[in-house]
Amino acid sequence: MAKFLGLNRLTKLFQIIQECGGLKQTYLKLYRNDDLKIGTLVGIDKYGNKYFENPFYFYGRNRWVEFTPHVNMDYDGSQIPADWYGWMHYKTDLPPIRDGSRPKYKWLADHSENLSGTKEAYMPYTTTPPKVEAWDPSAKKQ
Amino acid sequence: MLRSAILSKTVPKCLQIATQNSNALSVVPGFFVRQQQTLPVVDPSQTLEKKGYSPFGTKQASVAEWSLARLDDLLNWGRKGSIWPLTFGLACCAVEMMHIAAPRYDMDRYGVVFRASPRQADVIIVAGTLTNKMAPALRKVYDQMPEPRWVISMGSCANGGGYYHYSYSVVRGCDRIIPVDIYVPGCPPTAEALMYGVLQLQKKVKRMKTLQMWYRK
Repeated sequence: MAKFLGLNRLTKLFQIIQECGGLKQTYLKLYRNDDLKIGTLVGIDKYGNKYFENPFYFYGRNRWVEFTPHVNMDYDGSQIPADWYGWMHYKTDLPPIRDGSRPKYKWLADHSENLSGTKEAYMPYTTTPPKVEAWDPSAKKQ
Repeated sequence: MLRSAILSKTVPKCLQIATQNSNALSVVPGFFVRQQQTLPVVDPSQTLEKKGYSPFGTKQASVAEWSLARLDDLLNWGRKGSIWPLTFGLACCAVEMMHIAAPRYDMDRYGVVFRASPRQADVIIVAGTLTNKMAPALRKVYDQMPEPRWVISMGSCANGGGYYHYSYSVVRGCDRIIPVDIYVPGCPPTAEALMYGVLQLQKKVKRMKTLQMWYRK
Protein backbone atom coordinates (compact mmCIF):
# COMPACT_ATOMS: atom_id res chain seq x y z
CA MET A 1 0.00 0.00 0.00
CA ALA A 2 2.83 2.34 0.93
CA LYS A 3 4.47 1.51 -2.36
CA PHE A 4 1.24 2.10 -4.22
CA LEU A 5 0.90 5.57 -2.70
CA GLY A 6 4.53 6.34 -3.41
CA LEU A 7 5.37 6.75 0.26
CA ASN A 8 8.55 4.73 -0.15
CA ARG A 9 9.88 7.42 -2.46
CA LEU A 10 9.14 10.00 0.19
CA THR A 11 11.04 8.00 2.75
CA LYS A 12 13.90 7.74 0.28
CA LEU A 13 13.93 11.50 -0.10
CA PHE A 14 14.04 11.99 3.66
CA GLN A 15 16.80 9.43 3.86
CA ILE A 16 18.80 11.38 1.27
CA ILE A 17 18.26 14.66 3.10
CA GLN A 18 19.38 13.04 6.32
CA GLU A 19 22.45 11.59 4.63
CA CYS A 20 23.42 14.95 3.15
CA GLY A 21 23.08 16.67 6.53
CA GLY A 22 20.22 19.11 6.34
CA LEU A 23 18.16 20.88 3.73
CA LYS A 24 20.85 23.42 2.86
CA GLN A 25 23.48 20.76 2.22
CA THR A 26 20.97 18.84 0.13
CA TYR A 27 20.29 21.93 -1.95
CA LEU A 28 24.00 22.62 -2.41
CA LYS A 29 24.59 19.03 -3.46
CA LEU A 30 21.72 19.18 -5.92
CA TYR A 31 23.06 22.45 -7.31
CA ARG A 32 26.55 21.07 -7.81
CA ASN A 33 25.84 17.50 -8.92
CA ASP A 34 22.43 17.99 -10.56
CA ASP A 35 21.42 14.78 -8.85
CA LEU A 36 20.56 13.41 -5.44
CA LYS A 37 21.68 9.89 -4.76
CA ILE A 38 22.76 7.85 -1.81
CA GLY A 39 25.25 5.06 -1.94
CA THR A 40 28.18 3.50 -0.21
CA LEU A 41 31.44 5.40 -0.28
CA VAL A 42 33.81 3.08 -2.11
CA GLY A 43 36.91 5.19 -1.83
CA ILE A 44 38.57 8.57 -1.95
CA ASP A 45 41.52 9.19 -4.24
CA LYS A 46 44.46 11.38 -3.32
CA TYR A 47 43.02 14.36 -5.19
CA GLY A 48 39.96 14.34 -2.95
CA ASN A 49 37.40 12.84 -5.35
CA LYS A 50 34.87 10.57 -3.68
CA TYR A 51 33.58 7.48 -5.43
CA PHE A 52 30.19 6.00 -4.66
CA GLU A 53 28.28 2.93 -5.62
CA ASN A 54 24.69 1.85 -5.23
CA PRO A 55 23.47 -1.16 -7.21
CA PHE A 56 19.87 0.02 -6.69
CA TYR A 57 20.34 2.35 -9.65
CA PHE A 58 20.51 1.15 -13.22
CA TYR A 59 23.80 -0.04 -14.67
CA GLY A 60 25.65 3.00 -15.93
CA ARG A 61 24.30 5.17 -13.14
CA ASN A 62 25.18 2.96 -10.21
CA ARG A 63 28.74 4.26 -9.89
CA TRP A 64 29.40 7.93 -9.59
CA VAL A 65 31.96 10.41 -8.43
CA GLU A 66 31.69 13.53 -6.33
CA PHE A 67 34.54 15.75 -7.34
CA THR A 68 36.85 17.34 -4.81
CA PRO A 69 35.22 20.43 -3.26
CA HIS A 70 37.93 22.94 -4.12
CA VAL A 71 37.28 22.79 -7.89
CA ASN A 72 33.74 23.97 -7.19
CA MET A 73 31.74 24.07 -10.45
CA ASP A 74 34.78 23.55 -12.69
CA TYR A 75 34.71 19.80 -12.40
CA ASP A 76 35.44 17.68 -15.41
CA GLY A 77 35.43 14.00 -16.25
CA SER A 78 39.16 14.13 -16.91
CA GLN A 79 39.80 14.87 -13.24
CA ILE A 80 39.26 11.19 -12.51
CA PRO A 81 42.76 9.72 -12.28
CA ALA A 82 43.86 6.74 -14.33
CA ASP A 83 43.63 4.22 -11.51
CA TRP A 84 39.98 4.99 -10.83
CA TYR A 85 39.09 5.29 -14.52
CA GLY A 86 38.75 1.54 -14.94
CA TRP A 87 36.38 1.22 -12.04
CA MET A 88 34.26 4.16 -13.16
CA HIS A 89 33.95 2.69 -16.63
CA TYR A 90 33.15 -0.87 -15.49
CA LYS A 91 36.41 -2.26 -16.82
CA THR A 92 36.93 -3.74 -13.39
CA ASP A 93 34.81 -4.29 -10.30
CA LEU A 94 37.81 -4.03 -7.99
CA PRO A 95 38.46 -0.46 -6.95
CA PRO A 96 42.17 0.40 -6.81
CA ILE A 97 42.21 0.61 -3.03
CA ARG A 98 41.05 -3.00 -2.74
CA ASP A 99 43.10 -4.33 -5.65
CA GLY A 100 46.48 -5.42 -4.34
CA SER A 101 47.84 -6.52 -7.70
CA ARG A 102 48.24 -3.02 -9.11
CA PRO A 103 51.82 -1.83 -9.40
CA LYS A 104 52.80 1.08 -7.21
CA TYR A 105 55.97 2.51 -8.67
CA LYS A 106 57.30 5.64 -7.10
CA TRP A 107 57.88 7.12 -10.53
CA LEU A 108 54.17 7.13 -11.35
CA ALA A 109 53.34 10.74 -12.15
CA ASP A 110 50.48 12.71 -10.68
CA HIS A 111 47.35 12.93 -12.78
CA SER A 112 46.69 16.00 -14.83
CA GLU A 113 43.29 16.99 -16.12
CA ASN A 114 42.32 18.05 -19.62
CA LEU A 115 44.01 21.42 -19.99
CA SER A 116 42.27 22.45 -23.22
CA GLY A 117 41.23 26.07 -23.09
CA THR A 118 43.76 26.99 -20.42
CA LYS A 119 47.19 28.52 -20.78
CA GLU A 120 48.74 25.13 -20.11
CA ALA A 121 47.07 23.51 -23.12
CA TYR A 122 49.35 21.65 -25.48
CA MET A 123 49.86 23.62 -28.66
CA PRO A 124 51.58 21.88 -31.55
CA TYR A 125 53.51 23.93 -34.01
CA THR A 126 55.20 23.25 -37.31
CA THR A 127 58.82 23.96 -38.16
CA THR A 128 58.49 23.35 -41.90
CA PRO A 129 57.46 25.98 -44.45
CA PRO A 130 53.80 25.75 -45.53
CA LYS A 131 53.06 23.65 -48.61
CA VAL A 132 50.32 25.94 -49.80
CA GLU A 133 51.11 29.56 -50.62
CA ALA A 134 48.18 31.92 -50.43
CA TRP A 135 47.36 33.92 -53.51
CA ASP A 136 48.12 37.61 -53.16
CA PRO A 137 45.70 39.58 -55.38
CA SER A 138 47.74 42.77 -55.22
CA ALA A 139 50.89 41.15 -56.57
CA LYS A 140 51.90 42.12 -60.08
CA LYS A 141 52.00 39.65 -62.93
CA GLN A 142 55.46 38.47 -63.73
CA MET B 1 60.51 27.65 -25.20
CA LEU B 2 64.06 26.71 -26.09
CA ARG B 3 64.93 30.25 -27.07
CA SER B 4 63.61 31.66 -23.83
CA ALA B 5 65.61 29.07 -21.96
CA ILE B 6 68.79 30.04 -23.82
CA LEU B 7 68.24 33.76 -23.38
CA SER B 8 67.59 33.64 -19.67
CA LYS B 9 70.66 34.44 -17.67
CA THR B 10 70.97 31.91 -14.91
CA VAL B 11 70.99 28.20 -15.30
CA PRO B 12 68.53 27.40 -12.47
CA LYS B 13 66.04 29.76 -14.07
CA CYS B 14 66.50 27.92 -17.36
CA LEU B 15 65.61 24.70 -15.65
CA GLN B 16 62.61 26.28 -14.03
CA ILE B 17 61.31 27.60 -17.35
CA ALA B 18 61.91 24.26 -18.98
CA THR B 19 59.93 22.48 -16.32
CA GLN B 20 57.08 24.94 -16.64
CA ASN B 21 56.71 24.83 -20.37
CA SER B 22 57.52 21.40 -21.69
CA ASN B 23 55.04 18.57 -21.73
CA ALA B 24 57.31 15.58 -21.57
CA LEU B 25 58.55 13.66 -18.59
CA SER B 26 62.09 14.55 -17.71
CA VAL B 27 64.62 12.69 -15.68
CA VAL B 28 66.14 14.72 -12.92
CA PRO B 29 68.69 12.45 -11.24
CA GLY B 30 66.86 10.36 -8.70
CA PHE B 31 63.26 11.22 -9.45
CA PHE B 32 60.81 11.97 -12.23
CA VAL B 33 58.90 15.23 -12.53
CA ARG B 34 55.88 15.66 -14.69
CA GLN B 35 56.25 18.89 -16.57
CA GLN B 36 52.57 19.45 -17.01
CA GLN B 37 50.24 21.03 -14.55
CA THR B 38 48.90 18.25 -12.36
CA LEU B 39 45.97 18.10 -10.02
CA PRO B 40 46.77 19.20 -6.48
CA VAL B 41 47.01 16.36 -3.99
CA VAL B 42 44.50 17.00 -1.25
CA ASP B 43 45.58 16.75 2.34
CA PRO B 44 42.50 15.88 4.44
CA SER B 45 43.72 17.94 7.40
CA GLN B 46 43.65 21.23 5.51
CA THR B 47 41.21 22.43 2.89
CA LEU B 48 42.30 24.04 -0.35
CA GLU B 49 40.84 27.37 -1.36
CA LYS B 50 37.63 26.95 -3.30
CA LYS B 51 37.56 28.17 -6.87
CA GLY B 52 34.97 30.81 -7.62
CA TYR B 53 32.20 30.25 -10.11
CA SER B 54 33.30 32.94 -12.52
CA PRO B 55 36.22 32.34 -14.88
CA PHE B 56 36.88 36.10 -14.85
CA GLY B 57 37.47 36.33 -11.11
CA THR B 58 36.23 39.19 -8.96
CA LYS B 59 39.27 41.48 -9.02
CA GLN B 60 38.35 43.84 -11.85
CA ALA B 61 39.94 47.28 -12.04
CA SER B 62 36.75 49.31 -11.81
CA VAL B 63 33.15 48.95 -10.69
CA ALA B 64 31.95 49.10 -14.29
CA GLU B 65 34.23 46.26 -15.33
CA TRP B 66 33.21 44.23 -12.32
CA SER B 67 29.52 44.61 -13.07
CA LEU B 68 30.05 43.81 -16.73
CA ALA B 69 31.92 40.68 -15.73
CA ARG B 70 28.95 39.67 -13.60
CA LEU B 71 26.56 40.38 -16.46
CA ASP B 72 28.76 38.29 -18.71
CA ASP B 73 28.56 35.50 -16.16
CA LEU B 74 24.79 35.69 -16.27
CA LEU B 75 24.69 35.78 -20.06
CA ASN B 76 27.07 32.84 -20.34
CA TRP B 77 25.11 30.89 -17.74
CA GLY B 78 22.01 31.29 -19.85
CA ARG B 79 23.77 30.42 -23.06
CA LYS B 80 25.58 27.37 -21.82
CA GLY B 81 22.44 25.98 -20.23
CA SER B 82 20.54 25.79 -23.49
CA ILE B 83 22.82 24.91 -26.34
CA TRP B 84 20.64 23.76 -29.19
CA PRO B 85 22.50 21.77 -31.81
CA LEU B 86 21.55 21.62 -35.43
CA THR B 87 21.73 18.08 -36.68
CA PHE B 88 24.09 17.76 -39.57
CA GLY B 89 24.50 14.01 -39.79
CA LEU B 90 26.55 13.05 -42.81
CA ALA B 91 27.73 9.51 -42.12
CA CYS B 92 28.10 6.86 -39.44
CA CYS B 93 28.97 9.50 -36.80
CA ALA B 94 25.36 10.56 -37.03
CA VAL B 95 24.36 7.29 -35.37
CA GLU B 96 26.51 8.17 -32.37
CA MET B 97 25.04 11.64 -32.44
CA MET B 98 21.59 10.06 -32.19
CA HIS B 99 22.81 8.04 -29.22
CA ILE B 100 23.48 11.10 -27.11
CA ALA B 101 19.85 12.05 -27.55
CA ALA B 102 18.74 8.62 -26.36
CA PRO B 103 18.06 7.82 -22.68
CA ARG B 104 21.44 6.35 -21.83
CA TYR B 105 23.40 9.56 -22.44
CA ASP B 106 20.37 11.82 -22.44
CA MET B 107 21.65 15.17 -23.65
CA ASP B 108 18.37 16.86 -22.67
CA ARG B 109 19.51 17.05 -19.07
CA TYR B 110 22.14 19.60 -20.15
CA GLY B 111 19.59 21.63 -22.06
CA VAL B 112 20.91 20.30 -25.35
CA VAL B 113 17.95 19.73 -27.64
CA PHE B 114 18.15 18.99 -31.34
CA ARG B 115 16.64 21.74 -33.40
CA ALA B 116 16.04 21.05 -37.05
CA SER B 117 16.10 24.68 -38.17
CA PRO B 118 19.43 26.48 -38.56
CA ARG B 119 17.79 29.79 -37.72
CA GLN B 120 17.02 28.61 -34.20
CA ALA B 121 20.15 26.60 -33.52
CA ASP B 122 23.25 27.63 -31.56
CA VAL B 123 25.70 24.93 -32.55
CA ILE B 124 26.10 22.76 -35.60
CA ILE B 125 27.45 19.26 -35.08
CA VAL B 126 29.20 18.21 -38.27
CA ALA B 127 28.93 14.45 -37.90
CA GLY B 128 30.62 12.57 -40.69
CA THR B 129 32.49 12.88 -43.94
CA LEU B 130 32.11 16.26 -45.60
CA THR B 131 32.17 15.75 -49.35
CA ASN B 132 32.87 18.41 -51.93
CA LYS B 133 29.26 18.22 -53.01
CA MET B 134 27.98 18.82 -49.48
CA ALA B 135 30.42 21.63 -48.64
CA PRO B 136 28.42 24.53 -50.15
CA ALA B 137 25.31 23.27 -48.39
CA LEU B 138 27.18 23.20 -45.08
CA ARG B 139 28.38 26.74 -45.60
CA LYS B 140 24.88 27.92 -46.46
CA VAL B 141 23.38 26.26 -43.42
CA TYR B 142 26.11 27.73 -41.21
CA ASP B 143 25.51 31.20 -42.65
CA GLN B 144 21.84 30.95 -41.75
CA MET B 145 22.57 30.38 -38.08
CA PRO B 146 22.23 33.42 -35.79
CA GLU B 147 25.15 34.73 -33.72
CA PRO B 148 26.55 33.55 -31.40
CA ARG B 149 27.11 30.23 -33.11
CA TRP B 150 29.49 27.38 -32.54
CA VAL B 151 30.66 24.36 -34.43
CA ILE B 152 31.48 20.91 -33.15
CA SER B 153 33.43 18.83 -35.62
CA MET B 154 32.75 15.20 -34.89
CA GLY B 155 34.93 12.31 -35.98
CA SER B 156 38.14 12.02 -37.95
CA CYS B 157 36.43 12.67 -41.30
CA ALA B 158 35.09 16.03 -40.21
CA ASN B 159 38.27 16.87 -38.33
CA GLY B 160 40.70 16.32 -41.15
CA GLY B 161 39.32 14.05 -43.82
CA GLY B 162 40.18 10.94 -41.85
CA TYR B 163 39.98 7.76 -43.85
CA TYR B 164 38.98 9.69 -46.98
CA HIS B 165 41.77 12.25 -46.70
CA TYR B 166 43.19 11.32 -50.12
CA SER B 167 39.88 10.94 -51.86
CA TYR B 168 39.11 13.13 -54.87
CA SER B 169 35.70 14.11 -53.58
CA VAL B 170 36.14 14.79 -49.88
CA VAL B 171 36.92 18.04 -48.06
CA ARG B 172 39.98 17.52 -45.89
CA GLY B 173 38.37 18.70 -42.70
CA CYS B 174 35.28 20.82 -42.22
CA ASP B 175 37.45 23.61 -40.80
CA ARG B 176 38.27 24.46 -44.41
CA ILE B 177 34.66 25.54 -44.79
CA ILE B 178 33.57 26.84 -41.37
CA PRO B 179 35.43 27.81 -38.16
CA VAL B 180 35.41 24.94 -35.67
CA ASP B 181 35.26 25.33 -31.87
CA ILE B 182 35.45 21.77 -30.64
CA TYR B 183 37.07 18.82 -32.36
CA VAL B 184 35.90 15.42 -31.18
CA PRO B 185 38.36 12.71 -32.20
CA GLY B 186 37.38 9.14 -32.98
CA CYS B 187 36.16 7.01 -35.82
CA PRO B 188 33.38 7.29 -34.92
CA PRO B 189 33.68 8.93 -31.50
CA THR B 190 31.62 7.25 -28.81
CA ALA B 191 28.47 8.99 -27.70
CA GLU B 192 30.31 9.59 -24.46
CA ALA B 193 33.08 11.41 -26.31
CA LEU B 194 30.59 13.64 -28.10
CA MET B 195 28.89 14.34 -24.79
CA TYR B 196 32.25 15.36 -23.40
CA GLY B 197 32.72 17.61 -26.43
CA VAL B 198 29.40 19.29 -25.67
CA LEU B 199 30.53 19.81 -22.08
CA GLN B 200 33.80 21.29 -23.32
CA LEU B 201 31.77 23.67 -25.46
CA GLN B 202 29.80 24.64 -22.36
CA LYS B 203 33.09 25.46 -20.68
CA LYS B 204 34.11 27.53 -23.67
CA VAL B 205 30.80 29.40 -23.62
CA LYS B 206 31.33 30.06 -19.93
CA ARG B 207 34.54 31.93 -20.78
CA MET B 208 32.96 34.19 -23.41
CA LYS B 209 33.51 37.90 -22.81
CA THR B 210 30.73 39.45 -24.87
CA LEU B 211 30.05 42.57 -22.82
CA GLN B 212 33.57 42.98 -21.51
CA MET B 213 34.95 43.10 -25.04
CA TRP B 214 32.27 45.58 -26.04
CA TYR B 215 33.28 47.82 -23.12
CA ARG B 216 36.97 47.53 -23.88
CA LYS B 217 36.41 48.73 -27.42
